[in-house]
Amino acid sequence: MEGFLLALRRGARFFPATAVLCAVATVGAAAATFEDLAAQAAQARRGNRIPEAIGLYRQAVELRASWVEGWWFLGTLSYATYQYADCESAFDQFVKLDGKRALAWSLLGLCEFETGKYDPALDHLRTGLAGKDLAPEVEAGVRFHFGLLLTRAGLFDRGNRELARYARGGAHEPMLIAGLGLNALHQPWLPKDMPAERQDAVMKAGAATRSWILGETGPAEAGFQELVKQYPTVTGVHYAYGTYLSYVRPQEAMAEFRRELELNPDNADADAMLDLLLVHAKDLNGALPHARKAAAEKASDALAEYAYGEVLLGTGDLRPAIARLEAAERLDPAAIQYHMALAAAYSRVGRHQDARQERLVSMDMAGAPSREAGAQNAADRAEVRARAKNGGAPVPEN
Amino acid sequence: MAHRSRQLWRPWLGVAMFAALTGAVQGAPRNTKTVTCANCHRAQAQSQPKTGMGIGIELAPNQPLFDEHPKLTADKNGYHYDIGRTNGASTYTVSDGSGTLTLPIRYAFGARNLTFVLEYQGGFYESLVSYYEQIAGLTITIGDEGIHPHNLTEAMGRHLTDDEIAPCFGCHATDAVSQGKLTLASLKPGLTCEHCHAGAEAHMQAIAAGKVAPVPRKLGEMAAEEMSTFCGECHRTWEAIVGMRLFGERNVRFQPYRLANSQCFLGDDKRIRCTACHDPHVELVRDDASYDGSCLACHGLKTGVKTGTAAAGATQKACPVADKNCVSCHMPKVTIPPNPTVFTDHNIRVVHAGDPYPL
Repeated sequence: MEGFLLALRRGARFFPATAVLCAVATVGAAAATFEDLAAQAAQARRGNRIPEAIGLYRQAVELRASWVEGWWFLGTLSYATYQYADCESAFDQFVKLDGKRALAWSLLGLCEFETGKYDPALDHLRTGLAGKDLAPEVEAGVRFHFGLLLTRAGLFDRGNRELARYARGGAHEPMLIAGLGLNALHQPWLPKDMPAERQDAVMKAGAATRSWILGETGPAEAGFQELVKQYPTVTGVHYAYGTYLSYVRPQEAMAEFRRELELNPDNADADAMLDLLLVHAKDLNGALPHARKAAAEKASDALAEYAYGEVLLGTGDLRPAIARLEAAERLDPAAIQYHMALAAAYSRVGRHQDARQERLVSMDMAGAPSREAGAQNAADRAEVRARAKNGGAPVPEN
Repeated sequence: MAHRSRQLWRPWLGVAMFAALTGAVQGAPRNTKTVTCANCHRAQAQSQPKTGMGIGIELAPNQPLFDEHPKLTADKNGYHYDIGRTNGASTYTVSDGSGTLTLPIRYAFGARNLTFVLEYQGGFYESLVSYYEQIAGLTITIGDEGIHPHNLTEAMGRHLTDDEIAPCFGCHATDAVSQGKLTLASLKPGLTCEHCHAGAEAHMQAIAAGKVAPVPRKLGEMAAEEMSTFCGECHRTWEAIVGMRLFGERNVRFQPYRLANSQCFLGDDKRIRCTACHDPHVELVRDDASYDGSCLACHGLKTGVKTGTAAAGATQKACPVADKNCVSCHMPKVTIPPNPTVFTDHNIRVVHAGDPYPL
């Protein structure tokens, strides 16, 4: 994030016209008027006298609360100097005046993350990511924090996608490993909040998960086996190993999810995963109770809805299946498998146009090469579409 | 009233017919040994084993390929391949001038074009060269064109992971996989009735015991989407191809994916399902004109025909150019060089010269 902080200090990247305007203003004049304060603030910022610049910008926006550039620089300079509460106030004002800047929403969310306002942080980071003008290095950091907050909120699948994306970029800092570990174990905590006695298990789960994400199957396999051996009764350990196995050796995954349910009968995600494996193995009678249990225990959960929808598709109960799959898509529009399942379901009941639309969305999300944007953008667009379908209201969370 | 009577009567006729065919009427001697699918489904049982799906895999020593071609050679990527039958044993040899690797060929996958699955050092490998009927010889196995081997093992074949090998045997043979694990001791080459018609075995036992039920699900009930998913378990589903991000011409061989992308694919309509054109119990028909009936079932003649089924319920546009050999224009033939296989693109569409290949 260092380059990002430097960029924030420079500021001109985001408002070059303002920077030029400020540069020609009178330097060193008495700060009697708004114009004088603005000019002096710019001069101080350009001279890298950051505390002075912050003070001048603060005075200027007190005189003219509608000065968006002032709030911007006050926010970015506060962020760059780790004054997160001030930064948060500045961007809170900024987005009220100009709600279209993805970076402003992102910085507001990052500040709120630092000040412990996690729920608004989650919303604001999401809004920031829905915009398309974040620089790649900024976007990576925003997605990382977003992934941690999704995990904290219990939205593990979505959190996993964000954290995995960050990990694929080569990151390996302890907070990422911890975030991946908490996500893999389905523990809704932030790294700083994890109990000391869980730390080793979390870090081991995170390291194994990172290896898996990077395609290092040997270390991943060894890591998960070691985790299960060392912590056979820790909540989520068998779930994490089962999730890994469901991709490489699905038959062995079932045993892990069953073991998880023995230890932790309320783990609805384990029920949902077991249901999906049984559907895949065409054991619909075996799958159905797990689907029902998952849906009952974790109402309005995307994975539970999807798992129930899949088993209903298998049994030919198409309309209830569609209702479940639509709910899953609404809850997690960035999950490609929900769109694909819905395409098949719509197709089977003769909703051909809807089926085609879902197929196009899925191909877009899969990064079909002739399509103009990458898979992640498609996932974000899917989220925006879901919001639109939802009357513009935020997509409901689990 | 007469109609109602017929409806009531029909099931009894069915039971009586089954009983008569199996000699399993009450009091009659039961002979379970003679009950096979062919007792009732004679035509299918006779023709299906000779089809590509019926053959599926040639097991050593019964590999007709080597009766016809006792010695096949090729030079690819700087390696020499020598495949054939020597002293009654089928072998696959690859050499690079300084070394040679020879392995027995126990499994030759396919019927017309054959890829060899080799066992080496406890693992399974897909041969890097395969036999192709079009050239009556060997060339790089389709899908492996991008592999540039660095040693004899890599030149011999592509290592297949556990989760890759089970579907290979699962789709080319019967009873080769159980609970996701290979059970090669019980492998039967090709797809037998039970492979697609789950419950056929139990049904036969019931027939032998003088009952009818359980009856396997009638696959003819499936409309297009469900059947594409069913056949796609081996031919790859739309979801599988998208999930693998397999875009471009290399996906032409995965028909359920291509078909689902067609404008005319209606998932609830039986007229566009796999078996609307292909009878899986007989060998693939390669005469383009033979498929015209399937196209015209929806698109009618030049004046247009109101097809009006419950599923589609619409008049489909008739072709303004021709009313025969539809697939020759609307389902172009595609090859993936250097592979000689000619695939029919199942993405049915109006093709314009210069159009890019639809994903």
